[in-house]
Amino acid sequence: MPETRADNVLMQKVRDGDVAKMAVLFERHHHALFRYFLRLTGHREFSEDLVQDVYLRMLKYRHTYRGGSPFTSWMYQVARNAHMDGVAKRKGETPLFEEGIQEPASADPDPAEILRRRQDVGLVRRALAALPVEKREVLVLSRFQNLKYEQIADILGCDAGTVKARVYRAIKALSQIFYEMAGEKAS
Amino acid sequence: MKCDQVKEHIADYLAGSLSRAEGEELDAHLAGCASCQQETAALTETWEMLGLLEQENPSAQMRPRFYEALEAYRQGAAAGTPAPARRGWFQWGWQGWAWSAALLAAGLLAGLFVGERQSSQRDMARLQDEVRHMRELVTLSLLEQQSASERLRGVDYAYHVDQSDTQVLAALLHAVNHDPSVNVRLAAVDALRKFAANPSVAGTMGSSLEKQDSPMVQLALIDFIVDTQDKSAAASLSALEHSPAANKNVKEKAVWGLSQLE
Repeated sequence: MPETRADNVLMQKVRDGDVAKMAVLFERHHHALFRYFLRLTGHREFSEDLVQDVYLRMLKYRHTYRGGSPFTSWMYQVARNAHMDGVAKRKGETPLFEEGIQEPASADPDPAEILRRRQDVGLVRRALAALPVEKREVLVLSRFQNLKYEQIADILGCDAGTVKARVYRAIKALSQIFYEMAGEKAS
Repeated sequence: MKCDQVKEHIADYLAGSLSRAEGEELDAHLAGCASCQQETAALTETWEMLGLLEQENPSAQMRPRFYEALEAYRQGAAAGTPAPARRGWFQWGWQGWAWSAALLAAGLLAGLFVGERQSSQRDMARLQDEVRHMRELVTLSLLEQQSASERLRGVDYAYHVDQSDTQVLAALLHAVNHDPSVNVRLAAVDALRKFAANPSVAGTMGSSLEKQDSPMVQLALIDFIVDTQDKSAAASLSALEHSPAANKNVKEKAVWGLSQLE
């Protein structure tokens, strides 16, 4: 049974009352969800809270899962709502993208190379943070979450052509921000 | 292909999902259009730069928090009440009855200090029982999965289950004997070492040895048999020694194994 179908079957069991099966769906997807939120918010603790919120929502609204429909799409739809609600609740608190994220581990013994890599990673993070959230979201879904454009269309409630157009606009905007920041760094 | 059409195909180009014909058309256009070539190069570079971001992992508290919440939900559902509302989700602490036995033990000790020894012990026993039940469910569910990596994770979970759980032991034995992945079979052999004294496991490795075609698993099983001094497996070792199909190293190991059982 392909994993996606296995997920659907597991979620159907959860919906029908076997809620312990949610543990398997947690083990399978919580890393991906955490990274999705981390790249959207730049905030580790908040991202963990959002992952927890997604699983609670999936339990709470499990009856709304339609058998046979892709679990992953449904999970990301729940995740998007959790993100929007979570951000709204945080108003007035520490701005997102301000907390430090773990520095990348490097096996390179050359300190100059390690430094250059750190600077590049910092630049990418800042550029991503400067992108409007709707553009950041479509980039995160397409670049990092291993989802096809058709799946993203399903999540965002549009057609695949629209997703591709949004990806183009988002990567172009990111590219501009990136080169502006890189220019500042060089000057 | 015209310049506007290039923009329509950029997303597929970046994701590597262009068809061969579309790729050739795009390449042909880029070869003759400096503007599109420049833009595509810049966007590709940005797309690749995103790959610099590390695959970060959540903290160790994430898992116990989830299992605490799931158990609370399960209890709420069983009692016919709505999902847990005793604390706000975002404020949910991970202390209390948690996933790991270490935390449970720490909670028990705390209970002893505040002089509520009997009630704490009762609570802890109940919580330990619930945690054990969850582990068994997760182990069994993971061992049923299609993906070998998920089944490996199931084997890993098996290290945390109770000695007496015959369902999990049966699932591990089934994995040793029938799992299509050599890695899963090897991991299951290792996991079963913890349960070597259990009646469901003792004396079964000889027949498992006869089912194996992987030399690596055969070697691991011979080690298991010798370490547990399972003399009932001598006939299987002898059969392996004389099997024309067996690997040379495995045959030598079988001879060694027989000598260790004598």
